Amino acid sequence: MEPHGDRFRVLRLIGVGKRFRDVPALSNVNLAVSRGETVAVVGPSGSGKTTLLRCINFLIPYDTGRIFIGDQLVGYRENRSGLVRDTERNINRIRKRIGMVFQRFNLFPHRTVLGNLVEGPLYVLKVGREEAQRRARAALDVVGLTDKVGAYPDQLSGGQQQRVAIARALCMEPEIMLFDEVTSALDPELVGEVLGVMRRLAHQGMTMVVVTHEMGFARDVANRVVFMESGTIIADQPAREFFGNPATTRIEAFLSRLSLPRN
Amino acid sequence: MLEFARAYLPLYAEGAVVGVGLAALSMVLSIGLGLLAALGRTSGALLVRSIVSAYVALFRGVPPLVLLYLVYFGLPSWAQQLGIRPLVAFLAPLNNRILAAVVAFGFNSGAYSTEIIRSAIAAIPPEQMEAAQSLGMSYWLAMRRIIIPQSARVAFPPLGNEFIAVIKGTSLASVIGVTELMRHAQLVAAATFQNLAAYTLAAVFYVVLVIILQSGVSLVERRFALTHK
Repeated sequence: MEPHGDRFRVLRLIGVGKRFRDVPALSNVNLAVSRGETVAVVGPSGSGKTTLLRCINFLIPYDTGRIFIGDQLVGYRENRSGLVRDTERNINRIRKRIGMVFQRFNLFPHRTVLGNLVEGPLYVLKVGREEAQRRARAALDVVGLTDKVGAYPDQLSGGQQQRVAIARALCMEPEIMLFDEVTSALDPELVGEVLGVMRRLAHQGMTMVVVTHEMGFARDVANRVVFMESGTIIADQPAREFFGNPATTRIEAFLSRLSLPRN
Repeated sequence: MLEFARAYLPLYAEGAVVGVGLAALSMVLSIGLGLLAALGRTSGALLVRSIVSAYVALFRGVPPLVLLYLVYFGLPSWAQQLGIRPLVAFLAPLNNRILAAVVAFGFNSGAYSTEIIRSAIAAIPPEQMEAAQSLGMSYWLAMRRIIIPQSARVAFPPLGNEFIAVIKGTSLASVIGVTELMRHAQLVAAATFQNLAAYTLAAVFYVVLVIILQSGVSLVERRFALTHK
């Protein structure tokens, strides 16, 4: 382990495994993400991509292995007999460093856009109203929705809601952002605006793990592509290599079934 | 009849105010109990959940009139017989008719409110809790800021119905001598021998009260909705 590389490592998974009853969902997953990197996670449905993301912020507790955010172990404490589950307070302390965007947006329907954005900064980070609103305005600027501060989520289109959800995560000023198939629930004509925002974030140096079926995005924006199948990582390659020279015939078959948009 | 109504209108109105006040206080207790019990049932340990289940089963099963007798006639005298001074002091307020009625109706209605609020909490998609937790909120902070405010909107219409049921139920308090609407009707009937007129006027009052309340609930419901289109 080179200490220099480690200092810029935001996320590290070592031998992570997870079972749902008798069904293995993840087994021996190893992954490292450095600061500023965008990693696309692709693969057939049911391959464990979403489970992987949810383990990272401990919405699902993993069973074996270790996940680190920076040098902080996620969800567990190490003691003499092994790993014991961490306190809720410590788990939350890590969660606020991780932004998450969901497939179905999950905005808070009883709050306006502004209300959605200040909720975390105000009540979790306790930054004060002025700072929370400053962050909200800045985040809305990033996603291009400054004119919607006062709107309620159900007054927005799906694409706009998803951009607000991205802004909500950004307001926490996270070290890493997790995107869980964020365009899968959108009408096709709305996908572009959300991907555009994500592209901009990636170029601004945000560290991102993106579970996606958008191969065009993976190819054009991601630094690396991780291919998963049956709960394991089959390939972890630079994007250019992944698409240009698929590592296995299985990946080749997967890619050939998707029509890749041209540049 | 019209003349009768004109003569006794102020008296009935007075009784209606007492009845509505009694119902409102009972409802405050009912919703307080219901919220606590529903949270206990949703989030609590097995012991807490069992206590809540027992409370709901018991207080839904006992007729409110029986409960009223138990609270007003039963509890204070029971404490006297036991002779435990702190208990006597604790239960002494129940010698107040209004307070006894509030406790009886509040605990009875609380069992229903528990179920209403519990199902309102269950109606909020679990993704809302996940979204809140992904922001680093603790379970209880997420409950307070995200889940309960949304549940309140779901629970409001059925709680409005419960309020209406409680208002009608306050007529029972006449039996322990609370001077609410029904009690006034009884007194007027006894004094004038005009039973039909006396009780018809009371019935009209209840109907009008319920209609006013129902439109109030609908109004707030629309204001308060989770949809904004």
